[in-house]
Amino acid sequence: MSAEDLPKNEAQVLKGHEGAVLTARFNKDGNYCLTGGKDRTIRLWNPHRGIHIKTYKAHAREVRDVHVTPDNSKICSCGGDRQVFYWDVSTGRVIRKFRGHDSEVNAVKFNEYSSVVVSAGYDRSLRAWDCRSHSTEPIQIIDTFLDSVMSVCLTKTEIIAGSVDGTVRTFDIRIGRELSDDLGQPVNCISLSNDGNCVLASCLDSTLRLLDRTSGELLQEYKGHTCKSFKMDCCLTNSDAHVVGGSEDGRLFFWDLVDASVVSSFRAHSSVVTSVSYHPKDNCVMTASVDGSVRVWKA
Amino acid sequence: MQFDTFGFTAAEVARKQVEKEQNERPSAIPGPAPDEIVVPATDPIGVRLMLKMGWRRGHSIKSSKTSSLYDARREARKAFLALSEDAKAPVAGPTQAEAEDDMASAAEFSTDGVSQLHKSTPVYVLNPKQDMHGLGYDPFKGAPEFRENKRLHLPGNKESGHKRQPPKKDGLFSFKTRNVAPGFGIGALEELDAEDEDVYASGYDFEAFVEEIEEPTKLAIEDKKKTTVKQHGILPGFKSATNSDYQLERFDPPVVPKDFVPRHKFPATSEVNHKMTELPPKDVPPPEDNNLKILIEGVATLVARCGPLFEELSREKNQSNPLFDFLNGGNGHDYYKRKLWEAKQKHGDKIKPLLKEKATPNTQKMTAESRGNILGEKPLVRSVAKDVPAPVSVTETVNLQFHLSDTFTEPSSFVEPTEITKPFQHDPAKQDRFEQYMKEKYHGGLRTKDAGGSSKMSESARARERLEFEAAAEAITQGKWGKESQPSGQQILDVPGGRGLQFTSGGSEKMEVSRGEETIEKSMFPKREEFQWRPASILCKRFDLIDPYMGKPPPPPRSRSKLDSLIFMPDYVKAATEVEKTFSNNKLKLSVSQLDEKGETSVEDVVEVENVERPVDLYKAIFSDDSDDEEGSSNIIINQPQSEDPTKKIEAANTTLSRLVAGDFLESLGKELGLEVPPENHVNVKPPQPTQKSTPQKQEPINSDSHKDIQENSSKNNASELNHEKRDTKVERKGSSSEDDRKRKRSRRHRNRNRSSSDGNASESSDDYRDRDRHSSRRKERKKESSRDRSSSHGRHRKHRSRDSSSKSRRYEDKDYGDGKREKRKSRD
Repeated sequence: MSAEDLPKNEAQVLKGHEGAVLTARFNKDGNYCLTGGKDRTIRLWNPHRGIHIKTYKAHAREVRDVHVTPDNSKICSCGGDRQVFYWDVSTGRVIRKFRGHDSEVNAVKFNEYSSVVVSAGYDRSLRAWDCRSHSTEPIQIIDTFLDSVMSVCLTKTEIIAGSVDGTVRTFDIRIGRELSDDLGQPVNCISLSNDGNCVLASCLDSTLRLLDRTSGELLQEYKGHTCKSFKMDCCLTNSDAHVVGGSEDGRLFFWDLVDASVVSSFRAHSSVVTSVSYHPKDNCVMTASVDGSVRVWKA
Repeated sequence: MQFDTFGFTAAEVARKQVEKEQNERPSAIPGPAPDEIVVPATDPIGVRLMLKMGWRRGHSIKSSKTSSLYDARREARKAFLALSEDAKAPVAGPTQAEAEDDMASAAEFSTDGVSQLHKSTPVYVLNPKQDMHGLGYDPFKGAPEFRENKRLHLPGNKESGHKRQPPKKDGLFSFKTRNVAPGFGIGALEELDAEDEDVYASGYDFEAFVEEIEEPTKLAIEDKKKTTVKQHGILPGFKSATNSDYQLERFDPPVVPKDFVPRHKFPATSEVNHKMTELPPKDVPPPEDNNLKILIEGVATLVARCGPLFEELSREKNQSNPLFDFLNGGNGHDYYKRKLWEAKQKHGDKIKPLLKEKATPNTQKMTAESRGNILGEKPLVRSVAKDVPAPVSVTETVNLQFHLSDTFTEPSSFVEPTEITKPFQHDPAKQDRFEQYMKEKYHGGLRTKDAGGSSKMSESARARERLEFEAAAEAITQGKWGKESQPSGQQILDVPGGRGLQFTSGGSEKMEVSRGEETIEKSMFPKREEFQWRPASILCKRFDLIDPYMGKPPPPPRSRSKLDSLIFMPDYVKAATEVEKTFSNNKLKLSVSQLDEKGETSVEDVVEVENVERPVDLYKAIFSDDSDDEEGSSNIIINQPQSEDPTKKIEAANTTLSRLVAGDFLESLGKELGLEVPPENHVNVKPPQPTQKSTPQKQEPINSDSHKDIQENSSKNNASELNHEKRDTKVERKGSSSEDDRKRKRSRRHRNRNRSSSDGNASESSDDYRDRDRHSSRRKERKKESSRDRSSSHGRHRKHRSRDSSSKSRRYEDKDYGDGKREKRKSRD
């Protein structure tokens, strides 16, 4: 994919959130998206047609992260109210509330089978919640982090999480070991490459770092944007050819994965770009911003 | 108290056992033995009835046995079980009479088997399959004291030969009490469910049970042992350690400062270290030719300072020059040798304090003054030195030396100004590279871009350095270098030719240096660490994965130091741990390299420190906080020697000298510990009297007989015990003289230590500093201790399987790994 194919034209603006939008996520096939924000709601959209489908209200505080199962039937969300919510998409009801985090929850993810929700909290812990049983107790608490856990990613066998203590920790369930890659800088967000071999970590020194997962080697650093104090997302394009990241000045950056040059950058929002989500198949990226809008960009 | 009423559980155990053995031995009946053939190894009512009716235990089994070896093994096992049975008799109470009954009835049968046992001590007695552990499983690996314990149990029983009584309830008991098999686990593909609990782990459970419940009786037995062993000069309750790596782990390695480069820098060349061992060449009168004499002396001084490389160079350059014949063994060679030696001595004396400085991590680097002293520099008058910084304070940082501008006077010994000197004295590593460069330049041939250790430099830095080297080399060839002060990258380009004094301003140099540091810092991140982490079984289930820890006891919570959790770890601490890690890696490598030479000496070490095992706790009490770092590092060493750790890269760059240094350090540490650690005493000093008194009190009413039995046995078997012991130690020495092994054990032990510290620090400290006069609380304490021991053996157990498989190839692997690393580096460059 060449740089020309990168999304740069605004296709849709999703407006509806009041106040900052903190998270925007495509669903598995990229036909829908979920957003969550300071207005304590989760919204379901069709981002390609710009249609607001549904609003999910139950959170008492801002919604910080949301994730939807591959079959689009369930949603998990988390936020400032220290709870992880497990939603039914069609009815819009909360199936379960997982309480246990001692403070704000920064990120949630479903596992491959949607049977477990893993949440990352400001309380320096990762917690795994069982969706199958009726128990609301965490089935696993990982508290080896030294500081707030900002982001979590799951593979089939691993839990990967980035923390403000500067580490990206990989918990391999199959082997039962923890790998801690210390980056020396607070990690804001982590994102897996689509081939699963690399992890992209957004650090608070305004640098994105690409790590080789097997060796822990630093493969590349991506600079140019500003990321110093906000929880901001980063991701790779669906072809793994480019790295996408927002900036605190409202710009959106595309780097070449290999030579780390800024391939494209444009002003996407008037304020901090909090969340970036790349379409799983098309050349399409969705950005959410503190300015309250969610924008869909296409090539 | 629970009874195996129907003998199901014990029968099951026996069946398993026999099945297992069936697979081992040649048999007429292929496959597992049918249940009907196998006698239930228990004493349920049915068996008792059978006995009453005239059935003799073992008859049917006997007929199916094909090998006498099998019989003997069976005897041994039964004997072992019988002892534990007897020991438990006071608790068992009513069964005792039957036991005796049984014994009597079984006596006739036992005689042949027993006599077999008496004839010789075959291998299987020394190391028989007499437990119920899985094949190849060694529960005492890493815990020789327990092995010894067990061994002491065994011979006595075998000797007596009458107590062939199948287990009655210990197996059962353990089944009931323990849900999840701690040791052997359940097959990898099975789910952990109620019905398959404890299929394999009965043996282990059995051990645990013996340790736990039978405390009082065992005490008595142990006391017997103590008294019997005492007269042989060994502290009671102890045996000579077969391997004693304990002391090595008690101290954390010294804190290495952040600026420490884990690569030995040679302030001078390495022969400083050899110098001590060199024999002084004999004193030779100087040659008549005064010029020659001066030349020889000068060259000798230079060689002493610059290393043999210099000698080589000058030899090569002056091959045709008859004046330099002395280098090639010609005229004046002896005198040159003598002078060289003298110069080296002198030089070495000066270098030595410096080396010491390097060795102790907290001292600072060479200051300008010290360097000046070494080089014979004369400080210049202050008025000229406008840009010279204020006198160096001892606590200055690394790069201080770089912005010092030194004044150099030409040392009087410089006879050959055109020769190579050390243009990069401020940076030994750089100087090394420069020398390498020079050598390559003169020798021609293949040039490796990376002359050791510069692999961490960025490409641009390397290129810059290369430019510098070229300029310096040019300057040297033009005969200017001798009087040149240290160059900076820029100044080399316009080298003035005068013989006068030169100044370098530190500014530009400093910037370069800080840049270098930056790159180094960067190359330190990301750094990878590895820990054990235990996923919950339900999590594994939900992820559709097999629980890697299924059937194993819960892991020790990773104890983290308070510092870690409270404060953000400052950078230098991290750096220190990092270096620590490489250091321990070194140790590992070192031990590998030392394996061969050290084989014998290690045995002696073992003997030396045999008694100091316990004080580990004492040190733990002191250092308990810092243990997690080391745990992490040892984990890394053990579990993933292959991981692409940045620190390992550094390690690969280590020279043999650094290994030597590490080795010295280890040895001295060991010695220090051996000397300083108070001799172990808190178990054996304990007077045997009170315990003896206390335990029989409880038993006597019920079980005075069996108790006496045991006593008799143990005293009877003194001789044989000793025999065994001797043989064992021999065997084990052979096995454990490898340092690699030790290393592994070390880390394991360490982990256990952590674990037990989590079990309860308070109880431990009370153990450690136990008041020996408190008899009243003795028993409780014993229990505590035993439970701790048990937990530690759990830990060993847990680690055992994975380790065992890889242990044999480990050290070769390690070696290969290092080689591979080096090769890789080369190819990369």
